[in-house]
Amino acid sequence: MASSIPTTREAVIIGGNRIPFSRAGKKYVRTSNQDMFTAALEGLVARFGLQGELLGEVVGGAVLKNSRNFNLIRESVLGSSLAPATPAYDLQQACGTGLEAAIAVTNKIKLGQIESAVAGGTDTISDAPIAVGDNLRRALLQASHARSTGDRIKALLPVLGHPKWLAPETPDTGEPRTGLSMGEHQALTTAKWGISREAQDEIALKSHQNLHRAWEEGFFDDLVTPFRGLSRDDNVRGDTSAEKLAKLKPVFGKSLTGDDGAPLPATMTAGNSTPLTDGASAVLFSSRDWAEERDLPVLAKFVDAETAGVDFVHGHEGLLMAPAAAVPRLLTRNGLTLEDIDFFEIHEAFASTVLTTLAAWEDEDYCRDELGLPGAFGKVDRSRLNVNGSSLAAGHPFAATGGRIVATAAKLVHAKAAETGSPARALISVCAAGGLGVTALVESA
Amino acid sequence: MTAVISADEVTNAPEEGAPSSYTVTDLAEVPTLGGLYARGAAASVVKRPRAGVVLPAVAYRVADVDTADAAARLAAYQDVVGEPSSDVLPAGFLHVLAFPLATAVMVRKDFPLGLLGMVHLRNVARVLFPVRLGDRLEIRAWAENARAHRRGVRVDVVAEARVNGALAYRAVSTYLAKGYAVSGDAGPGTDGGVSRRRDAERPSWTPPLPTARWSLGRSVGPEYGAVSGDRNPIHLSALGAKAFGFPRAIAHGMYTAARALAEVGPARRGDAYEWTAEFHKPVLLPGSVDVAVRYASDAGADVAAGPAGGFVYDGWRTGRTTRHFTGTVTPL
Repeated sequence: MASSIPTTREAVIIGGNRIPFSRAGKKYVRTSNQDMFTAALEGLVARFGLQGELLGEVVGGAVLKNSRNFNLIRESVLGSSLAPATPAYDLQQACGTGLEAAIAVTNKIKLGQIESAVAGGTDTISDAPIAVGDNLRRALLQASHARSTGDRIKALLPVLGHPKWLAPETPDTGEPRTGLSMGEHQALTTAKWGISREAQDEIALKSHQNLHRAWEEGFFDDLVTPFRGLSRDDNVRGDTSAEKLAKLKPVFGKSLTGDDGAPLPATMTAGNSTPLTDGASAVLFSSRDWAEERDLPVLAKFVDAETAGVDFVHGHEGLLMAPAAAVPRLLTRNGLTLEDIDFFEIHEAFASTVLTTLAAWEDEDYCRDELGLPGAFGKVDRSRLNVNGSSLAAGHPFAATGGRIVATAAKLVHAKAAETGSPARALISVCAAGGLGVTALVESA
Repeated sequence: MTAVISADEVTNAPEEGAPSSYTVTDLAEVPTLGGLYARGAAASVVKRPRAGVVLPAVAYRVADVDTADAAARLAAYQDVVGEPSSDVLPAGFLHVLAFPLATAVMVRKDFPLGLLGMVHLRNVARVLFPVRLGDRLEIRAWAENARAHRRGVRVDVVAEARVNGALAYRAVSTYLAKGYAVSGDAGPGTDGGVSRRRDAERPSWTPPLPTARWSLGRSVGPEYGAVSGDRNPIHLSALGAKAFGFPRAIAHGMYTAARALAEVGPARRGDAYEWTAEFHKPVLLPGSVDVAVRYASDAGADVAAGPAGGFVYDGWRTGRTTRHFTGTVTPL
């Protein structure tokens, strides 16, 4: 099968490393994106003995960047113990950044352009850029373009008359074209699909329980390097319960009206939405030969990937629904169905993002009309979903999430294949701002 | 009910030009709004609500308006309403260019309705081909079709713009003058008139799911006032608004409609399009407005979509069912 995919050599996943994810404003205050990505990278270098190694490429990015971070990943490489000749570049695709970086480097490996690479990402809310407003910015730019002191003063004079121009602008999670925050957008999708509060809280509870169990079992011992006095993700709550989650007040979707004119119940809380988080991750990929020459472990193959976009601006589709379109294309191209997948790693931007995606695949009309499929795409076996927790528990430093998931998925399929003796597959699905979705297929090597 | 403009509202008027009985009066240039407002305000004191409203059979014309002069203003307009930078003039900007001429008609001594207190009910604009920065326009404006309304008299103020003699833009702005009556009508408050509706008969309205949220600050009134020239005090400050019975300053209706037009965007409305707006409760500033700018095909069967498809938009107060405006953008 899979005749539409040209034959290339394999790109394999050797392993990953991240720093513990930390809730915004806590452990990683005064820590920059470059600090964090360098730490994640150095941990990876240490784990696999890459000191002085010339890698084919390091690719990653951050969603929220300070303007001085124009060459963030290259600067991080220069501050690492990799060979300074290792090239690097920045990439940004909102929350899809980390996974898209993995797609970019594995494609180069598959084509034989490079032998080895690191892909990852970093994001910080605690050290986020703060910008000046457009009016002040224009005045400052005009002043900087002025040729005489008089012109410079003239350009800056309006600022004196408008003290409000001095108010700083902080980044938010609002969509530029709609002014709605990501949570408000997802609340619309939640309402359209009629996802209940209980179902969302159940996803959140599972995420915390699974991530906590995975930490306790030592699953992350070779995936995470302590940083700034933190040795575990500080958002995970192993002791949370359905009762505790049920007590939280809704934060999104509080002003929606149903078809009957009655207010729709708000179901999305701080408990079933991801918290703002700081963190960084990095994953090491290579050709099989490169790994074997260095006697490095090969956990999995990075088989294929698919991205999608949806038309959300005028409400035709939900902002975070693009993975629902990408995954059927990805699996069909590879001759697979949902039943062939052992592990579903569906990024929990919100619990309801996972649930609306699953509901879409089960909906015959939706799959036919919107996805062009002959019928419903299928049902996801919930016991295979985010088995070691996901973003609700771990947190979600935007560009770092892809690397977290790829490393987790690679380790999961490796262990499963070792246990059963047959190949194991993981499907990775990440939704992103701008109506984007990035998905990938990982298989035991 | 999501349908916006009933057919009888727009098809009564001829498709081009003023009624044949009108005389055309040439003006050397488009007048400035400030002076017109002063005249309009003064005349409003004299003009008293009465029956037997007769409109002046006069169309004003400015033969040669150089749009190249409006480059900076166009950029500012695009900035304020969210249009992308482009040398093509959005319909809302053509409205702004023609607005002083239309106002000049309304402040004539023989225009029977007082300018102050006139309420903009609806606007139907058509762009027939793109007008570009640098095009020289012939602009005409007149008032026609005075007719009964439940609370007074409705009148259509029509504005047209031509490039090299070809009609590029035509807009019908319908205003309500409260307390007046047309001749042959028994007057406001009676049951005469074909298009009267009582509030009780208005179908109840349920907001759709929003597609956007506008957080409108106090500055929206002065900013649109600056780019449109419409510096009516009700838009500029709470004090100015209070003088006319509003608790706070209110957003220009045309600002909200222009912003909805911008959210459809040039790529989807095409070169030629119809843009309608119907104004309900005013938007108080500052305020949060939930907006749905939807494909007509997604908005339900009760919305008439053009053959090329189109958009329907609604705006309401966030978290309430207070409807502010509704309209359509339809490629022609």
